[in-house]
Amino acid sequence: MLAASNIHFCIKQRPIVDQASLSLKAGEVLAILGPNGAGKSTLFKILSGEVSCKHGSVGYNGCPIHNLKSKQLAEIRAVMPQHSQVNFPFTSQEVVELGLVACKTNKPQQLIKEVMELTQTSHLKERVFNQLSGGEKQRVQLARVLVQIWENKPFPRYLLLDEPTSALDIAQQHSVLQIVQELKNRNIGVLLILHDLNLAAQYADRIILLKNGIIAGCGETSEVLQEGILSKVFEHPVTIMVHPITGRKIISTDHFYSNPSKNLKPIQYGNSF
Amino acid sequence: MISLAQSISKTNLKVTVLSGLGIFLLIIGIFSLSQGAFAISLSQSISVLLSEIGIQLSDFSSQQANVLLQIRLPRILLATLVGGGLGISGAALQGLFRNPLVEPGLIGVSSGSALFAVIFLVFAPTTLALSWIQNLGMPLFAFLGGLIHVVAVYLLGQSSNKTNTNNLILAGVAINALAGALIGLTLFYSDDAAIRSFTFWSLGDLGGATWEKMPTATILIAIPSLLLFSQSKNLNAISLGEQEAFHMGINVPALKVKLLLITALIVGVAVSLTGMIGFVGLVVPHLIRISFGADHKLLLPASFLLGATLLNVADLLARTIAIPAELPIGVITALLGAPFFIYLISNFNSSKN
Repeated sequence: MLAASNIHFCIKQRPIVDQASLSLKAGEVLAILGPNGAGKSTLFKILSGEVSCKHGSVGYNGCPIHNLKSKQLAEIRAVMPQHSQVNFPFTSQEVVELGLVACKTNKPQQLIKEVMELTQTSHLKERVFNQLSGGEKQRVQLARVLVQIWENKPFPRYLLLDEPTSALDIAQQHSVLQIVQELKNRNIGVLLILHDLNLAAQYADRIILLKNGIIAGCGETSEVLQEGILSKVFEHPVTIMVHPITGRKIISTDHFYSNPSKNLKPIQYGNSF
Repeated sequence: MISLAQSISKTNLKVTVLSGLGIFLLIIGIFSLSQGAFAISLSQSISVLLSEIGIQLSDFSSQQANVLLQIRLPRILLATLVGGGLGISGAALQGLFRNPLVEPGLIGVSSGSALFAVIFLVFAPTTLALSWIQNLGMPLFAFLGGLIHVVAVYLLGQSSNKTNTNNLILAGVAINALAGALIGLTLFYSDDAAIRSFTFWSLGDLGGATWEKMPTATILIAIPSLLLFSQSKNLNAISLGEQEAFHMGINVPALKVKLLLITALIVGVAVSLTGMIGFVGLVVPHLIRISFGADHKLLLPASFLLGATLLNVADLLARTIAIPAELPIGVITALLGAPFFIYLISNFNSSKN
């Protein structure tokens, strides 16, 4: 389990993440949602070990993160940042291979082949990474982080993704998140930051809502996605409908349809409102 | 070239490229042995070399053998070590800072080494009769200077635990200017002879190559270069970004320190032996990357071989263009390197668009 408790992180006395606790089990997809500046990225960096946090604790599979060397940590969790630049003309296959740089495995080629097939990037392997389209780049990067934790191990592994769909068209967004879903039966837990509420509704098992560094909502996807709390967290009217065929929730943010629930205080939504 | 690289498998490509470059270097080396103010034909050069291992071919005078073995051969070996060292350091620094503009000169290693070497030249007690102190003292002093500068530039280029390339390059410019001023100040307090030798030295000079210098050069350039080869995987990882390298399990701070130490050592020693030779560290890794890709497993050794070849060609031209006079080698590398580099940049841009 990836467990964080009472994380408190300040920059110049201003709390960025305020007493946040969360947990992520293997085989689960957990989405973190929240407006810009809510502290999502900071929380993400603390969980990935990139930023160390004095107050509170983060542990992977019961081991505190500060006791893990970067090499050990890399075997347990892989991280995909929002933007990765590659300044040199590496081919896609070379980029994917880099995921294994610190890992000991006796079948690297097989792992690389499997993740490239899963992410549908096999045909791109000889292409220079920088000349790929945004969607192709994102899938190659996903293959790179996946290969790091792809090998079956006796312990659960975790994948942390920071806005993996931000630069992608609709079809690409869904193809990336469908890949993420397939990790569930590989003893891998996935934590991702998303901006699109509908994608979260469709792919997340659980959702954490973050606002001003505080966890404003946490639970099963259907519990958390309520008009009241979403409108409050995003300071924008939100209407929830039901998809006529799948029966899943559809979140509309259109002003016209907005129907603030009773517990929502009147908010200024600008001139159009 | 990319299509060539694609048609051959990766290991084959590596073997082909490295052996090709190695053979090219050998041919250039043997050819330059036979060229110079004193006439020695190519076949005589080869027979002198072979006679050293007991094979007699054609006749040559003992004077020819002396010129070849005592003057030209150490010079070519030194050019090989220094050129290779500059090439591989340039490749490693570009990888470390993820910036194809970085070269040892730009981030202050060269100027720092030069400053300390000049201070050593001017102020070291000439009464030191022990030549090995001279032979070892100056390279180590130059290494120290290079190290101080590269650490200063690196620290100034850091912002919130990450390397900010703009800051890094600006810091390099500032530190280079400071070093230039301090070199000027040191020369102001030295005699005419020191100034003359510095002027030539500041543009690079392989003329001082002797067998006595070879052990130092070999140990302090070849061994660190081998250490750099072993870092190729880590350099590949860090070229994706420091953050990404950490996520992939690399101990990034330790890697940075290791790479900076090794490159400062190589460049410091190279500068102390031959003066400041520009462009090799910048152009060579580019050439390799554009032709054969960015994988450091190939890039590092290939940059060593190509750097060595380039410096040998430059030295050959420097020795032979104005016989019996010699041009400073830095002039040749810049004359060859700069236009070629401009061609590469414009070509690179047009292929991208």
